Order: sequence, then C-alpha cells, then structure tokens
Amino acid sequence: MSAIVQYLLSGISIGAIYSLIGLGFSIMWSASRAANFAHGDVVMLGAVLAVVFVGQGIPLILSIPIVVLICIIYGVLIERFAVTPFLKEVTGIGWMLSTIGIGIMLESFVTITFGSFAKPLVTPLIEKPIIILGAGIYPQELLIPVFAITFLLCLEIFYRRTLIGRAIRAVAFNQMAAGLMGINVKLMTAISFGIAAALGGGAGILIAPIVQASATMGLLLGLKGFAIAIIAGITNARGVVIMGLLYGIMEKFIEGFISSAAREAIGFTVIIFLLFIFPQGIFGKKEMLKV
Amino acid sequence: MSDRIIKNYFLWLLLGLSIAIIFLPFILSNDYQLRVWMLLLIYAVVALGLNLVVGLAGLVSLGQAGLLAIGAYTASILATKFGFEFIPAALAAMCLTGFFGVILAYPTLRVRGVYLAVITIAFGIVVENIAIEWSSVTGGTTGISNIPKIAFFGHALNDVRFYYLISFIFLISFIIHYNIRKSRFGRSMRAATQSEIAVRSVGINPISARTLAFTLAAVLTGIAGALYAYLNSYVNPDTFRFLDSLRYLLMVILGGSGTVLGPLLGAAILTYIPEFFQKFGVWQHFAYGALLVIVIFIMPLGIVGTIIFWYGKFQPKRLYKSNQWPALEPLVDTLIKQPIEKSQTCLCVNNLTVRFGGLVANNNISENIQTGSIHAIIGPNGAGKSTFLNCISGLYKATDGTIIFGNKNISGLPMHTLAKMGIARTFQNTELFGQMTVLENVLVGFHTKYKSGLLATIARWPTFTKEENHFHVLANSLLRYVGLDDYAHEEARNLPFGHQRRLEIARALAISPKVLLLDEPAAGLTHTEIEDLKRLINSLSEKNITIVLVEHHVEMIMALSNTVTVLDYGIVIASGAPDEVQENPMVIEAYFGSKGVTNA
Repeated sequence: MSAIVQYLLSGISIGAIYSLIGLGFSIMWSASRAANFAHGDVVMLGAVLAVVFVGQGIPLILSIPIVVLICIIYGVLIERFAVTPFLKEVTGIGWMLSTIGIGIMLESFVTITFGSFAKPLVTPLIEKPIIILGAGIYPQELLIPVFAITFLLCLEIFYRRTLIGRAIRAVAFNQMAAGLMGINVKLMTAISFGIAAALGGGAGILIAPIVQASATMGLLLGLKGFAIAIIAGITNARGVVIMGLLYGIMEKFIEGFISSAAREAIGFTVIIFLLFIFPQGIFGKKEMLKV
Repeated sequence: MSDRIIKNYFLWLLLGLSIAIIFLPFILSNDYQLRVWMLLLIYAVVALGLNLVVGLAGLVSLGQAGLLAIGAYTASILATKFGFEFIPAALAAMCLTGFFGVILAYPTLRVRGVYLAVITIAFGIVVENIAIEWSSVTGGTTGISNIPKIAFFGHALNDVRFYYLISFIFLISFIIHYNIRKSRFGRSMRAATQSEIAVRSVGINPISARTLAFTLAAVLTGIAGALYAYLNSYVNPDTFRFLDSLRYLLMVILGGSGTVLGPLLGAAILTYIPEFFQKFGVWQHFAYGALLVIVIFIMPLGIVGTIIFWYGKFQPKRLYKSNQWPALEPLVDTLIKQPIEKSQTCLCVNNLTVRFGGLVANNNISENIQTGSIHAIIGPNGAGKSTFLNCISGLYKATDGTIIFGNKNISGLPMHTLAKMGIARTFQNTELFGQMTVLENVLVGFHTKYKSGLLATIARWPTFTKEENHFHVLANSLLRYVGLDDYAHEEARNLPFGHQRRLEIARALAISPKVLLLDEPAAGLTHTEIEDLKRLINSLSEKNITIVLVEHHVEMIMALSNTVTVLDYGIVIASGAPDEVQENPMVIEAYFGSKGVTNA
C-alpha cells in the first residue's frame, strides 16, 4: 500500500514537470504551428543558472526572477531568429533543425562553462520528507504539481479573459485573419514563446533540487515533454497537463514493478503505440481537410 | 532528349566513381586512412537510404541510428553467438531492419512532419535503451566485441578486399537510389510530398509510396549496420544515439536532399569533419551544432542543391508558347475513349447526406448520372456542390446514403481506390505537383498503369525501359492535346493559372477515366480560355467520358450540359434539362431572391 502511494506521489511530482514542459510546447505550437524543438534545453538553462546564481551567494528568492527573465529572453530570441524565418516552409524541417542546432550549441556551451557533472540546488524544501500514508515525499516534490495546476488555471483565465490572451487565440486560429484585424501577430508569437520559456525555466528551477542540474538533463526531458504534448493533442492545454501527470505516474510504476532500467524503453514504446492509435492526440481534434 | 543526356551523365558519374574507388587504395599511405574511407562509404549507404525518405518522400526521420544499431547488433550477435558468416548475417540484418522500416512507415498513414520526427526519435531511444539494458544479449554498455574478421565461405578478407566489398555495396546502393529516383516510384514519392490529395486522385496510395521509401532506407541501413559491425569488430550503444541520428540527417541536408550526389558528399564531409574538429577540443560539439545552424540558414538546399539552383539561374530563359487546344491527337483518342454504353446509369446516388458537426452540407440527395452525359451541378455559394463532388470522388465519407458506380457500391471507398476504378477529378484550387515538371505531373497520372515491379525498375529491365518510353510518348501526346507540349520540362508551379487548369485535366485523363469530375474548371479563366475549355469538354464527352461539372459560369453550363442539378442549402431544388431548370421558379428564387425583391 505505502509503495503504491509512494509511486503515485512521486509520479505526480515528476509528471507535473512533464506537464509544464509539454504545456510550453503547446503554447508555442498554438501560436505558430512550430516550436523550439530543443525546449528541454531551456529547462536545463533554468536549472543550471539557478544553481550558479545561488552558488554565487545570491539568495534563491532573488535568483528565480533573474533566471526566469534570462529564459524569457532566450525563448524570444529563438522565436525571432530560429523559428519565424522558417514558418513559410511546408515540410517543417527548417525550424526543427535550426532549434536543435542551437540547442546543441547551448548544451555544449554549458558543459564547458558549468562542467560536465551534476550539481544540486539547495532549498529548504528538500530537508525533511513529509510522511503521507506511509510514503515519504519532500515538500519540493509536492510543490511542482501545485504549481503546474495553478499555472494551468491562470493560463486559461489569461487566454479567455484578457485582451492579449484572446488575441493569441485568434492568432492560433488563423494568423492571416488575425493580422488583418490589426492584431500584432509577431508580438503575440513572441509573447507565446516568452511564456513557454518562462515555464520551461520555472520547471528547471523546480526540478533542480530533486534531480540535480546538469548540461545534459534537457534532452530527454524535452523529448518526453514534446511527445506527451503530441499524444495529448498539442493544442489542448488541459489534456497536456493530464497526460504529463499520467506519464509520470506510469514511469514510477514501471520503475517500481519492473526495473528502473526499463523505464525509457517501455515509456517510449508506449508513446509510439499511443501515437499509432491516436495520431491527432487523445484529447485532440482532427483537422478538416478542404479542397 | 534531355532525359538521354541526364542518363549519360549518370553513367559517366558512375564510371568516374568506380575508377576513383578502384585506385584509391593505391594512393592511400596507411591502413588508418583506408578505414576512414570504408567508414565514409558505409555512412554514404545510410545517407543514400535516408535521402529516399527525406529528399523524395519529404519525411523527417531522426531514428536512423536506431535502425543502424539493429543492423549492427543483429549481425554481431549472429556472428559471435551462432557463428554466421557475413552473407547470412547481413541478410538477416537487412530483413530485420526492413521489418522495422515498414513499422516506422505505418504512422505516416496519418501523421507527418514533426509528429513523425517524434515517433522516429522515440524509436531511436527505445533501441538505444534496449541495447544498454538487455545485457545478456547485447552486452550492455560494453557492447559486443570479438566480432570475427569478415569472411566468405571460410576465406577471411583482408582490409583491401573488405574495402572493395564495401565499395561494391555502396555502388549498388548508389544505382538503386538513382534508379528509384528516376522511376514511377520516385515520382510518386515526390508527388505525395507536394500534394497528398492529388496523388490519391490518380489512384496512388501515398502510404505505399512512403512505406517503400522507409523500407528501402531501412534495408540499406541494415546492410550498412552489418558492415559497420565487421569493420569495427565491436559494437556498443555509444555510437547509436540521438545525436548520431541527427548526423545522418545532416549528411543528407548538407549534401543536398533529393539530389544524386548530395548524400555521398554530405557523408564525406561529416566523416572527415570530426577529424578536423579535433582541434576544437571541448568545443567540438559546439562546432557541430553551429554547422547545423549555418547549413540551415545559409544553404537550406545543401551543397549540391545550391549548385544546381545557381546553375539553373544562369541558364538562358526561354519563352514558351502555348498551342491551340484541344488538339487532335489520335493517341489520346485511343487512350481515353470509353466503350459506348450511352444512356445507362453511370453513377447512382441514393439519399446522400453529409454532416459536418451540426451543418448539413448535403441533405438526402438522390441523383442519377447518365453514362457519357455532361451533368452540371450548380447552386449558390455554400449550396454543397463541392461536398457532393468530394463524396463521389471518395475524399469525404458520406454520413448516410449510398453511391453506386456501374454496378458496384462505392460508398465509403477511399479516393485512390475510386481513381483506379475510373473516377478522376480536378480541384477548385488546382492541386498540382508544383516542383515537378509538367511532363512528370502527367506521368504520375500513369503510375497505376505500369506493370513492371520494383525489381524490374531497379534493375532497369528491358520491359521497364519499354514501358517508361511508352508512357513518355503518351504523356507528351496528352500534353499536345491540351496545348502544353512546349512547357513539358518547366516546373508546374511556374505555369500561368489557366495553364495549370489544363495540366490538371491532362493528368486526370492519364488514368483513362470513365467519369471526370470537374470542380469549377472555368474559374479564373479568360473568355477565350473558356471557349477552348467548352470545346475540350465536348470533345471528352464525344469519347463517352461521363462529365460531372460543378460550375458558376451559367452561360457555359447552358451551352454544354445534358442535365442540370441545382442545389441550395444542401438539397436538390431542381434537376432536368437546362432550359427546364432555367424556368424553374425555385431556381430563380435561389439565385435572385423571392419575387418581391426581383420586381423591385
């Protein structure tokens, strides 16, 4: 019993990280039908910068906004220089490869400057675990799903109730028509990539105390986040969050009942099969073909 | 004519490559250099395969390293644990990777682009993790070592002989790659990239084109994997990671995706560059990412693609002239003429209903279309005309009702099946294969009529050559029929709009249709072009082709059609001879509003 509760709780915790990353992909994709394919590296940037700043003696509470701001700038620059120039292409290879290329550059830059080993971020929230139904969990781990769900709610309110949010939805629906109505499409796309990057950086800071920050942590996290967003139906934000949580729980159960070595192999096989069965995503809608 | 020159140029290229390959070992000073060349040629085989997927079928695969790993591990396990020699081990590797190629191609049924990229990445990660974790078979992170020296029937090969073996396999792959590219298979792959609906409208299932590309690529990667294992005499998971998959993709794109020499050039550069990057030390990875970014930004066409692009720019521009159409072409007559079965029912639509959510686009339509007649469908915008046409051609599935064609129930059958049965169509906003030549567009239309299979095509069997020439002649005569013969070697997207419409009709005629569905063929045409179009439609009708015409141009409809059906809000409000329909008060109301308004 306590083992199952343990798997559930830590699954929700890691799943919430996937949700946050997937949500970032969803936000970028909605605005531009493209994304920063190397979004995982933004997560890495957030984690690594937080460790570096705290290591320099800057208090965590002050480091967080600076780190998030740097991530936002990075995200907007990626959008401006690596994604938007390729949006007119039909094949979609251009933005994928340009962002992957920049991701590799960032990763190797961090490896060189930060070091190739992992370092933890020290926060008061991982000092002592809480015991819930016999399962031990750090407050930090509980913070992540709370943050993810709060963010989702704020995002929905932002999309539905604010002028900018509505403008972004209009852009997502039809860029050209939105542009003709006087919406600044470029600005809306930039804002979306900024939000996604803030979210990615935030996810990095949240996870850094638990898994330790390293230059290579982003690749797998990013791929999982993207895969999860796609299985959920990438434009459905709620679906992405639910899917992320479920995937996290599934991973912990695989670790618990089979072996932690089998985690990626089984997890990605499940992803492939789900995409075979639901090519539009489980919560997605089929796009109508018109001739 | 120009085809002949291109063919010769390929033979010269092949000859040059063969000579270079034969004499290379005599120039190289040491064994290490020879091994680098062997590795280069193995990578080139992977890149050639991947070029079929990326350059022709327009799909992104970021899981090639996974396939290479399957090939390499299969060969090594068979060699070390079961004592297989190279030939059976390589064959087994090719079968297994081919199988995975088919599986990877399956999702292209419904997903493409970035979705497929995610599936292939996931596949690569699964393979890598299995190689790491299933240590009883794969040796875990240390991998498999002590792979025996490559041997044939008990005779071990020395390095130079092994080099020649790899070269031989490379040259075979090079030829397969070229021959697929210049055949109906390559054309259908390229066409499916440019317009999926249009390839289906001429009877090609885009999935089979993509599956073929994926499978061939996988088989080539499989043998490359086997060679790789024997060359290194050990395998471990480190060389089959996501970054390696990315490197193979970069080889294709850097060299020039879709080109003949691009994959070889890309493989050569990316095999030699790591040696060069050694100088960068820790910055090696960084330089690699930077190279990717630079290629994408500065040379998205790749090296060979960019050279071809600029070469084309400096070619003297020639002016094309369009000829009188429809022209008399006896060959076309024999191609498209249908046996006389006039005044029978060709298409019988019963209670057809199509709903999109709450919107009823077609409501309970029943209509008989006579063989050899010209049947017009008219109605105000949004009346459901195109939906009706899309249902008959199999693009949409009806919510309810049946469609009988001849004596077969065709409701719910996919578009490419219907096209094979003889239902051809054109599109309201033309759907051409923009980056293929005018001639190639028509040749794609002939795809389903070819009899020579994959092997005959790859081996350039005499039956293949004969058939290819035959369809070239037919395609040219179809182009003369619509007056576009002068444009044969121009890319379709460069054609003026009116000419694009003609080309679409020529392509549809290539399948020798029993029924031709024309979706607003006169839209955007000039007055004289409409007169020509009218003569063309009449001439098609004389050849007993049943024409279903959706059109707004009333004068043209009244002049041409035997029967006119008027739709409004998805229901049939009138159907009959043109002059009857013209007098029908409901039709007048639908077009001009109620009486009170017209009198005002």
